[in-house]
Amino acid sequence: MTEDNFEEFLKKAAQGYNVPPARAPREDMWSAIQAQRAAGPRVVYGGGSPMRESSGRRFGSRIWLSAAAAAVLLLATGVGLGRWSASSNAHRSVAVVNPPKTDSSFPLIAGPSASVAPGNPAAVALTPTGGRSTTSSPGVALPNGRDSQKDRTGNGNQVALSGPSTNSAASSAYQLTAVRHLSEAEALLTSFRTRSATDQQMDAQLGSWARQLLSNTRLLLDSPIANDPQRRPLLEDLELVLVQIVQLSPGSTPQDRDLIEKTLQHDHVMTRLRTAIPAGMQRGS
Amino acid sequence: MELAAYEFRSSVNDTQLITRVVAGDAAAERELYETYVDRIYRLAFRLAGDDELARDFTQATFIRAFEKIGSFRGESSLSTWLHSIGVSVALNGLRKTKRLRNREAPMEEGLTVGVTQREADPDLKERLARAIDALADKYRTVFVMHDVEGYTHEEISGTLSIPIGTSKSHLFQARSKLRVALADFAPEWVS
Repeated sequence: MTEDNFEEFLKKAAQGYNVPPARAPREDMWSAIQAQRAAGPRVVYGGGSPMRESSGRRFGSRIWLSAAAAAVLLLATGVGLGRWSASSNAHRSVAVVNPPKTDSSFPLIAGPSASVAPGNPAAVALTPTGGRSTTSSPGVALPNGRDSQKDRTGNGNQVALSGPSTNSAASSAYQLTAVRHLSEAEALLTSFRTRSATDQQMDAQLGSWARQLLSNTRLLLDSPIANDPQRRPLLEDLELVLVQIVQLSPGSTPQDRDLIEKTLQHDHVMTRLRTAIPAGMQRGS
Repeated sequence: MELAAYEFRSSVNDTQLITRVVAGDAAAERELYETYVDRIYRLAFRLAGDDELARDFTQATFIRAFEKIGSFRGESSLSTWLHSIGVSVALNGLRKTKRLRNREAPMEEGLTVGVTQREADPDLKERLARAIDALADKYRTVFVMHDVEGYTHEEISGTLSIPIGTSKSHLFQARSKLRVALADFAPEWVS
């Protein structure tokens, strides 16, 4: 009897636990879902087994700095590897084609997956991202999408760079680096949103962390990752938020913080970040 | 009989709805969302205790569901499938948030040095909330779903992919721990 009484008592009392609002914010959430699906990559989420136990690991506050340092190192290595790999592939795959019968005084270098029609060297078809049509411009497109005059042979030959589409190692390095970075950024933004409003020490630490992530974000914006039409807007929005966090001074007003919060909400940055991070790549997991 | 008929109709409707969503029908996506969003959001809010997190979890649940609905094999009901995604998303998100809060804890403790601890006995609501928060995820989830939100053990079993007996066992464990935590209030349920 006492047991039944307790169950009744408990059920009744527990109705006051985390009481949700009477109405779910349907429209807001639907808009966010639509915006996020339109902007973000179609990546299947992480989500492990729902009943997996927490790892129970405990981190000290210093782990932030070491984690940030590790992320910077990883990012720098990834970007470096990617660039090195991309440039070495590009150099290896230079092929000299028959001298053109063209009036153009410039040689042409095509970007990824470029093909040159024999006998019609001026007609260069480009399929890749970051490539640039060379039919109307004498400029050259390198595999990473940047123009360069240095690759001109100067002897009137047409040069085609082939095979960057097979550059999967570089692509993987960039992808891994980008995902790590986005994961790190999500961790920072979650910390920012859950921190105590009056904790200036925390603000200082977050500012330092945000500064490092800001540098990395700009590096990524300058890398082939930014050629992805879905990633670029996300990185740009992230850059804006990070700049705002970095600029938060100890004497900042609550309005300054609200402004950041509004940016996060308006651009759905958190949701887009979470979607961009595939399974098992969450920071700390 | 009536319940069986309802379940059959619901199953047929779900099948049609899924077919339309997979075919890329935007109206069907909206219909699916409208049908289930309230329950998903309520559960996310009960687990998170925070509107912002509950919104994030609900949105992530539907985005993931729309992405994966093509692989839904109908082994469980659509509702169960959606809830399993929702609980998974919420628990993973909460673990991440908890880790971050634990990192902040040492600094917060540092700030309270020298402040007199308040020994006043919290009221029942606050004590109960803290006791529920202190439960292990597996106990808390079952408790919240069953005793707070009114899910049946069958629904919990399907959502969490655990046997019904395990669901009952987890609920028993949760109640036992809460009983100990609320021992001060025993006169209220004994009387």
